[in-house]
Amino acid sequence: MEFLFGQLAGFGSAFAALVSDPWTYLYLIVSVFLGISFGALPGLTATLAVTILTGFFGNKVPLDYSLIALLGAYVGAIYGGSYPSILLNIPGTAASAATAMDGYPLARQGRGAEALGLTTTASFIGTLVGTLALLVFVWVLLLISKNIASPEKALLALFGILLSGTLMSEDLAIKGWIAGLVGLALAMVGMDPILSETRYTFGWSYLLSGIAVVPVLMGAFAVPQIIAGMRPAKTGEVAALTGRILPNTAALRRYLPTIGRSGVIGTGVGALPGVGEDVAGWVSYGVGKTVSAEGDRFGKGSLERLLSSETANNACIGGALIPLLVLGIPGSPPAAALMGAFKINNVIPGPTIDPEIILRVVAILVLASCTMFIMGLFTARVFIKVLRLPQTVFLPLVMVLTTIGSFSVGGGLNDLYLMLGIGFVAYLMNLLCYPIAPLVIGVILGGMFDETFRRSLLLSDGDLSVFVSRPGSAILLALILALILGPLPGAKRALYRLKGRMT
Amino acid sequence: MQVSSEAEAEARAQLRARDFWSALALIALSLFFLWRTLDIPLGGANSAGVNSAAWYTSAAMVPLGLFGALFCLSLVLLGISIRSGGAARALSAAGLGWSGAEIARFSALALMLLAYIAALVPRVDFILASALLITAMIAAFHGRAQPRPLVPLLAMGAAALPALVLYFPRASWGQHGDDWVTLALLVALTLWHQWTGPRGPARRLTPVLAVGVPLLLVCAMAFGFRQNVPNRGGLIFSQIEYGYYVHLRPVWRS
Repeated sequence: MEFLFGQLAGFGSAFAALVSDPWTYLYLIVSVFLGISFGALPGLTATLAVTILTGFFGNKVPLDYSLIALLGAYVGAIYGGSYPSILLNIPGTAASAATAMDGYPLARQGRGAEALGLTTTASFIGTLVGTLALLVFVWVLLLISKNIASPEKALLALFGILLSGTLMSEDLAIKGWIAGLVGLALAMVGMDPILSETRYTFGWSYLLSGIAVVPVLMGAFAVPQIIAGMRPAKTGEVAALTGRILPNTAALRRYLPTIGRSGVIGTGVGALPGVGEDVAGWVSYGVGKTVSAEGDRFGKGSLERLLSSETANNACIGGALIPLLVLGIPGSPPAAALMGAFKINNVIPGPTIDPEIILRVVAILVLASCTMFIMGLFTARVFIKVLRLPQTVFLPLVMVLTTIGSFSVGGGLNDLYLMLGIGFVAYLMNLLCYPIAPLVIGVILGGMFDETFRRSLLLSDGDLSVFVSRPGSAILLALILALILGPLPGAKRALYRLKGRMT
Repeated sequence: MQVSSEAEAEARAQLRARDFWSALALIALSLFFLWRTLDIPLGGANSAGVNSAAWYTSAAMVPLGLFGALFCLSLVLLGISIRSGGAARALSAAGLGWSGAEIARFSALALMLLAYIAALVPRVDFILASALLITAMIAAFHGRAQPRPLVPLLAMGAAALPALVLYFPRASWGQHGDDWVTLALLVALTLWHQWTGPRGPARRLTPVLAVGVPLLLVCAMAFGFRQNVPNRGGLIFSQIEYGYYVHLRPVWRS
């Protein structure tokens, strides 16, 4: 109990410091507005919103304001994806794909305003649930993570990349792993962290300092979206809205258990390394379908299913920040972009992170969710107008934004060449159904994996048993093996046989 | 229902055909980098002044493992593709499922972006270069039943070529000849778009967006965030910067 009060007191002082600074409001309003607009525009994603703002605010303003801008955009964009899902039947972000299944039928029935009011409230509550989990669990995990040494760190990085590859791959899991390995391989470029040996620089001095994270983020997330979106397409018919966008309190009371359950699911899925808001939305949607009494209404305009996905994808934000802040492993693709912002500010997330930063992140998330809630209820019609913007007009502007953002982070023209090269590769990978998120997470975690893996062996004089002799590393190794062997047909058959014997 | 499952099966078969080629490319890539990794001393060498460097401290160890794993996974993917009939399909052009129109669209966009990043951004005024790119992309792809990227692509190429040929060395990036060429092409392309483009607010707004957005961004970045911006000596930006530091800034500093 004392621990909880201590946490709340720390949060209170961080919150008061933010609330008493007038600049906070300017950054919050601008970033949440931009985030919702990005989420609402089909073709732009939450990851792209955070990535582009990293180019602008990453290292140009004090860290506090930078975090306000990035977290505000993150919260806003995940919520903003619900607008086109409900009104156009086109998910604004992958995270709100499940929302479209029941949101659009509701809009067709003339209940679009009610659906938007409920998703706004559910997103608000979801963000708060995830934030509360972040406040409580991050400290418990930070205490545990003090005992994490190099072997566990190396295996955790590998586990994060493999898990992200498995869950983010729409086709074969092996393609996700290949994408993760390509990311890890990119991180090997430059001087190695232990002996300062040069690797794969091909005589280009720019590569001596390694592959920069921000151009990779911009290239991997922005350029493929721009190339894919530049094709003649008509803007969809926006469903008409009747009535005011207000939370339906009776429905909220009725579905409170659903909101609570979805919040917990979203936070849990978010806390898994490398797994994003889209997986959280679908998992919660699937669970809702299984346990709900309204199963027959699902897909025809079920409020319960709408709330399941929308609460979970926003709750995922707090969850995704837990592994990022505790272990330095991003919990979702937008969190990977946030990691890039931390890196260019010389903040190293992990067990040694300044506790003040965690409390400020929590306070910013609370403020951002309040701003999102107010904007969602009172300025929703502005965002509905945004839906009518054709992507063939705004994507060229995004390209210019991306270029100047990437240029100004520090690497200049070389960063732009890298961004474009990565962008073309990422577009081809998208075409071939290789997921991009594991590649980016591989680039971010590659340096840590290389250093901690070799340090483990250095300390054990090359004894590989260091990876199984410690309980934490043995568990992680078992999880990695399960992840790799799981999709094999032989392993599946053995599991079925075992199940058959048990029953 | 049957039609949809047939379409899904067809899409999956096309994907396996593509997997065949991507697996071959990945095998070649991993073999190349495995070969390059052999240049890095693997134990026993005098690395960074450490005579007794062992295999486990070598900078080559992790890359060897990574590219070895990549090679193995690529072989597995190749096996999956062959067993699913991807190899047989891959050898016929129809199996890949890439239409000529899609290849043309991608090539046009890739060339426009390449011209912008590699030729124009370093050498031409950022506002002019970005305005030309925005106009070219909107003119080629917005509101048309079929994209018409040829004229916009030619405009981008005509701006990029003199910039690359006449102003290739860094020392000549500050000269303005290529800026004037880009400006002339921007005006010509804008007129072409206004003449031939589909009617609507987007056509009217294109010149405003094309010039306004880069102008706003570059000024915000240079004077708001005080960051470096591409080609500070460009035709328009150098005038803005001069006006800002000589006329505007002294006003509020005094």
